[in-house]
Amino acid sequence: MKTFLFILIVIASGATAGFILGGLNLIFVEPSLDQAIGIENQHMFASGIEKDTPEFRAQYNDYRTWQKSGQVFAGGIFGISIGSLFGIVFALSRNSLPGKIDIKKSLILAGIMWACIYFIPFLKYPANPPTVGDPETVVLRGILYLTFITISGFGAVGFYKLSKKLKTRKFIVVVGYAAFIGIAFVAMPGNPDKITTPMDLVNHFRIMSVFTVSLYWLSLGLIFGSLWNHYKPHKEITSSFN
Amino acid sequence: MSESKQVNVSKTSVPVIAIVALAIIFAGGLFVVGFDQGHIFSLVYGEKAFQDLYIHELTHDMRHIAGFPCH
Repeated sequence: MKTFLFILIVIASGATAGFILGGLNLIFVEPSLDQAIGIENQHMFASGIEKDTPEFRAQYNDYRTWQKSGQVFAGGIFGISIGSLFGIVFALSRNSLPGKIDIKKSLILAGIMWACIYFIPFLKYPANPPTVGDPETVVLRGILYLTFITISGFGAVGFYKLSKKLKTRKFIVVVGYAAFIGIAFVAMPGNPDKITTPMDLVNHFRIMSVFTVSLYWLSLGLIFGSLWNHYKPHKEITSSFN
Repeated sequence: MSESKQVNVSKTSVPVIAIVALAIIFAGGLFVVGFDQGHIFSLVYGEKAFQDLYIHELTHDMRHIAGFPCH
């Protein structure tokens, strides 16, 4: 395999999909975030920590503009980071993935990884807008979320490996994983924070964030698969026999 | 009689160096976007970084959107 080309494809596809995510978030998710941070501000005014003055507003608006540009930048980092994991899994599992062309293989893997390390964990620990989370529980929530993602990811790989060893049919993998993750879903403790923010806002934020993050996975699968198809980093003439 | 023939072998094994490099990028990126509370900048700025939370504030919106725990 051409190492440099492989890494380049991973970074290019991850960054592009990540910046697409950042751009989509500006349109679809930032309005909910502004609303939620607006509620945080109202709390600060009510408790006397801050005063609702034109100076505060001007400072706040500048700060939010900076933070929104940071969100797009963070999209790039997030995109490359998740793209790297995707690249590793794709390279290792390419021969076993269904489909004749790499775009199909890539899209199938993106769908599987979207479900196992994003959507199913989201159902257990849904994303929340600002004002919901208690700063006191942030470490615990971080541990719970990462643990569940790790259990889900390694569970999926484990059942796949097991089915290969036992030469069972593919649906056994799905059934086995479903039962396994179902148990983890029930056994793991829930998010300890109580939601006092209006549920309309929370639900709108959640739907929009699932929409944009899902489009990230779709873009990643498409871009990575197209680049792989075009440049074929797995093909390398290594030896000649005489 | 000797016969000369050329065989092209397509190497499919994944280079370990690529896996290691990508694993580091994955973990580092995830930490920056999802979990840093001043840790990275504290290497340069010391304790002050834990109050400034520069990376936390910069990646704040994405942290919420991607489902990472925040306040």
